[in-house]
Amino acid sequence: MELTVAQRFSGQLMFLDLDRKERHLIAATDDSGRSITYGYICDFSEEFAKYLPQRTLIFILAENSIGSLLGYTAALSNRIVPLILSANTEEGLFRSLYDLYKPEYLWVPETKADGKEVIFSAWRYCLVATGHQSPQMYEELALLLPTSGSTGSPKLVRHSYRNIEANADNVRRLFKLNGTEKAMAILPMHYTMGLSVIASHLLSGATLLLSGRSLLDKGFWATLKEATSFTGVPYSYEILIKMRFTSMDLPNLRVITQGGGKLTEATWNTLAQYAHEKGKQFIATYGQSECTARMAYLPAEMALDKVCSIGIAEPGGQLSIIDDNGNETFEGEAQGEMVYRGENVTLGYATCREDLMKGDGNHGIIHTGDLARRDADGCYFIIGRLKRFLKIFGLRIGLDEVERIIKTEYKVDCYCKGNDERLIVLVTNPKLQDVLPAFIEEKTHLFHQRIEIQVVNEIIRNEAGKVINQ
Amino acid sequence: MTNLDKLNKIFCEVFSVEESSLNGDFDNNSVDGWDSVRQLSLTSSVEDAFDIMLDPEDILEFTSYDSAKRILAKYAIEL
Repeated sequence: MELTVAQRFSGQLMFLDLDRKERHLIAATDDSGRSITYGYICDFSEEFAKYLPQRTLIFILAENSIGSLLGYTAALSNRIVPLILSANTEEGLFRSLYDLYKPEYLWVPETKADGKEVIFSAWRYCLVATGHQSPQMYEELALLLPTSGSTGSPKLVRHSYRNIEANADNVRRLFKLNGTEKAMAILPMHYTMGLSVIASHLLSGATLLLSGRSLLDKGFWATLKEATSFTGVPYSYEILIKMRFTSMDLPNLRVITQGGGKLTEATWNTLAQYAHEKGKQFIATYGQSECTARMAYLPAEMALDKVCSIGIAEPGGQLSIIDDNGNETFEGEAQGEMVYRGENVTLGYATCREDLMKGDGNHGIIHTGDLARRDADGCYFIIGRLKRFLKIFGLRIGLDEVERIIKTEYKVDCYCKGNDERLIVLVTNPKLQDVLPAFIEEKTHLFHQRIEIQVVNEIIRNEAGKVINQ
Repeated sequence: MTNLDKLNKIFCEVFSVEESSLNGDFDNNSVDGWDSVRQLSLTSSVEDAFDIMLDPEDILEFTSYDSAKRILAKYAIEL
């Protein structure tokens, strides 16, 4: 059921129907061992509105904790538009986004308030006023997320209220979520999939086990024993397998699900076999931040047969392929660019403050930039990428972005390429060989051992400007 | 190269530090950026360098320079 903005905020329905859950049910726990109920989330939203009564722009410096979550639910419930960034965002990158978008408020961990005037604080988070005025914003604009969690691109994805709820509902239907779920929520809140886990489980009245811990922390493994589902990126599963979780006793765990890039065939088979033998479900999914996270999934019963397939469109969505001749098809074998339609397709991008006034530029359809093959059974397989980015550890590394920050810092020509294992940077100046890995790691948080610098005599471009020394 | 040299080299490469900074304070609390990626990179490099296979519990305990030495002793690697 789609509601107008006026209906939604006339007090009939709260964001994600948060006020329709049993008030005493546990909505979330975190690493502190404390928990909050759905009733508390609703009360907190009301209290938050006393300090921040008007629609405005706020930056949330997020971590996977209750304080951070309450900032998100309170903002969305009160028509305050957050840009969610990692609390570990490098200072220079934070500064450039801050100067560009000029938020009126910040919701930050107390440790990051450094001397600013605190208006309100709770759960080790505080609300800080910046002195800026609110920008003009499109009335359906609900949420902003960075396109790459890391490279500090000023490009943000604009989400509507309907986008978030449509995604949450699609995911709820896909996994048949209900209030008995306890979802291990370790993917960061500023990451579209992490936020999708949060929104879909809140909509379902389930419990989030928020954790900011490393997967190599004993506390993580203690929490995992309680979880009914685990959502990870390929690297999460590399760790889990290394830790031999497949031979652990995890009786509560029903579903393991993955997104954020392609698993290797070996990892896939390990997970599919594990799920088959232990009576669990392994569900691979596919998504993009441009579509409020999830778009496709492979039903668990097909995991053993359709290795490394992203499966079919999620409930509420539709996939198609446009082949080299420009023909779009929805069934039968085909190969070409994958296209998605659904209510979770976001409004578009913002690259400056004025863009926050923009309406819906996508109209529910998105060209994914991924090359896909569809088999006779209708299952999709990602076989390549049209857009220039890598996904390493679930981080989206925009190659143009990395080139931009290198060129800005060192005033040199460079070219980035690579695969989902490693980023390769071509430069002509041999002096940069040693400094670039640390520099790129500082800016993007990509582990320097996954960065390879190649010194070449010359970066050769053709007439179209395309680099040809691949 | 001695076993200690091998271990030090692994730490220096993973954390981009000089050997002189490896001491009893070098742990996951004091070292900036010590996360699961680095910890797993440490343990995988150690497994390769010393031809051993660490137990999961030891991978979890691999949270400091000192604990690394202690764990290697369990696998009869003399430092």
